[in-house]
Amino acid sequence: MQHAPPPARRSAPDWVGLAVVAAILLSLTILGGNIWLNMQAAGVTPGYGFLTQTAGFDLSESLIRYDAGDSYGRVILAGLLNTVFLGICGLVLATGLGVLMGLVSVSPSPAGRMIGLLYVELFRNLPKILVLLVLYVVAVRGLPPVREAFSIGPLHLTNRSIYLPVIETDVRQAWLLVPLAVAVALSLLWLRRARRIKRDKGKDIEVLPVILALIISFPLIFGLLVDTPLMTSVPEFQRFDFEGGARLSVQFLVVLGTLGLYHGAQIAEVVRGGILAVPQGQIEAARALGLSPRHVTRFVILPQVLRIVIPPMINQYVNLIKNTSIAIAVGYSDLMSVSGTIINQTFRPLEMMLITMGLYLGLCLVASSLMNRLNDRLRARSAGGAR
Amino acid sequence: MIPPSPPPEARRDLWRQWFGTPVTALVSLISAAVALYVTWALLDWMVISALSPTQPMEDCAGSSGACWRFYLEKSRFMLFGTYPYAEHWRPALVSLLLLALSALVGLRITGRLRWLRPRMLVVLWVGVIPLAFVLMGGGAAGLAAIDMSRWNGMPVLLILSVIAIALAFPLGVALAVLRHQTRWPVLRRAAIVYIEGMRGFPMVTVLFVGVFVLPLTLPPDTRISPVMATLIALVFFHASYFAEDVRGGLQSLPDSQHEAAFSLGLSWGKTMRLVLLPQALSRSLPALVNSVIGAYKDTSLVVVLGIHDLTSTARMAFSEPGWGQFALEAYAFVGVWFLLSCAFLSWVGRELHRKQSRKSH
Repeated sequence: MQHAPPPARRSAPDWVGLAVVAAILLSLTILGGNIWLNMQAAGVTPGYGFLTQTAGFDLSESLIRYDAGDSYGRVILAGLLNTVFLGICGLVLATGLGVLMGLVSVSPSPAGRMIGLLYVELFRNLPKILVLLVLYVVAVRGLPPVREAFSIGPLHLTNRSIYLPVIETDVRQAWLLVPLAVAVALSLLWLRRARRIKRDKGKDIEVLPVILALIISFPLIFGLLVDTPLMTSVPEFQRFDFEGGARLSVQFLVVLGTLGLYHGAQIAEVVRGGILAVPQGQIEAARALGLSPRHVTRFVILPQVLRIVIPPMINQYVNLIKNTSIAIAVGYSDLMSVSGTIINQTFRPLEMMLITMGLYLGLCLVASSLMNRLNDRLRARSAGGAR
Repeated sequence: MIPPSPPPEARRDLWRQWFGTPVTALVSLISAAVALYVTWALLDWMVISALSPTQPMEDCAGSSGACWRFYLEKSRFMLFGTYPYAEHWRPALVSLLLLALSALVGLRITGRLRWLRPRMLVVLWVGVIPLAFVLMGGGAAGLAAIDMSRWNGMPVLLILSVIAIALAFPLGVALAVLRHQTRWPVLRRAAIVYIEGMRGFPMVTVLFVGVFVLPLTLPPDTRISPVMATLIALVFFHASYFAEDVRGGLQSLPDSQHEAAFSLGLSWGKTMRLVLLPQALSRSLPALVNSVIGAYKDTSLVVVLGIHDLTSTARMAFSEPGWGQFALEAYAFVGVWFLLSCAFLSWVGRELHRKQSRKSH
């Protein structure tokens, strides 16, 4: 018979550790004192008061209204929003490219496998900053100047920006939210009905097509019936530049392209590894049970692949968000390059770096906790399905 | 016993592989088209439309292909930048030393060069790192002093990658041990905070702290060159990544190892040094090699701080007026260098994986 181990005696406090940590804190204080002295010598008092001062420099682009007369605090906010925007676009692009190339590199076609391998090896062995600089040079040299813009319909490509038409929001369009809400409510009802039928009779009924049809058709029909004006703003060439529409700078596109290509290669490897990790016997057994190829993918391959792939994927996404900071190399006004400019202007590296690093840390924490929660829910659901 | 005969040769396999299903056929066609196009474009740029190095530089103006003469004219500038021309042998020697030492370590950990004891490698590192700085900076042993602002190109890339990695490694191991042990809980906490914090920041921000905040922390009237500040920042940054790799190795060891060493009467230090760390390090080598590849590639991020590593000197080479059209040639130089050096590192990684999977079977 085994006895439980005796309760551990309360150990003495960790004097060594406390002493070391105290020494570290002491040296940090000394370094902080030096910072104080150096900043005093330069005629600057440490503190965050400067955040309300006028920034006085312009941004290449901003998602919120911003001009050079706004405060430093607002510049930082504009930079942060640019970083988030870049990060979200990058996630979508990298995931799309990565999943596509991952699937291609496990396809039976030898040519596909070769292309997949080449793509992954190339971008895993090149520094991302080099990819970025090359893309930038190619884009600036290869695209035409604004007077000879390369146009595809209302889309205009120049070596400074890409111009696209956008839907202008208007108060009158708020009515469209009503049918949308109705459609969402109906979709939820349909989802519950599908779950009930599945539970009671074990039959599958179509869910996704019905929901999509509802959500698209309701606002559309409503909009046509009451003739809500849907105004678009189309870019048009004025005397010097395009006016109207939305503008994405070439810097943004280049950084986005780099993040997509670079992390796409990493994600392709993750996806490839995940698919290859499903034993062939699983697929053969599912086929032998008479499952259709679609059901084999849906119920046998996909759940196992997702289980393997999601944790490294979360890692990739967090890395991607951190890597948006390479935008500073081409001058896209993201958080990092905005704070670089502020450091040069105000000689406040300590305050600015504390703010910047805190914001990046916060972004990464938010992203990883959101995705971890998603992962937990997915796991719980697939475990429930297996019961 | 009769050995099983091999399966019969599959017939029409090639056709099935390329065009078995409509989707496969589509993938094959698109991939083949992409591959052909890329090959053709490369061939056109490198050979067909290219100008041979014997032609004068003026002919290159407006040509669509590569200008091979560019490399004759600018290779040395891209490698060593604005380092005084007559002293180029010094950065060349430093680069060769660092490359040779890295290659030795790479070959040693794949199981070759058995005669090279790890202790000898450590001694070599301890000798070569100061030697590299003396050779580059001069001011001793009859060498002319060269200011750090003129350290450019390849040696800076190697100092900031190879030396930073070499210095970060012991720090990373120490952090991993601190995080793994339970004897000093406060130190364990501190190591966790450090490692997780560092890994949460983008590398660019850490470099900025190195270049802009670190000089401020020095007593007034002391100066530190940006290269040194970056080196220090990189050491602290990479150490947190190495620490996680080594900790993975420590965690994968069975508890019995620790218990057995303890019951043999080994002290905590000896258990760590003689029993746990050697096994943990060899288990974490593949992960470490991956981190090293990442650290090496990311070194070129120092471009944003105005430090002139290889990528930056390549950019300088085509930034002079009149040279602007040779951007692709210059970047191709850097790209080929990184492809080659990363290919070696990836090979080391694959060899380690192979060795480990052999061991576990």
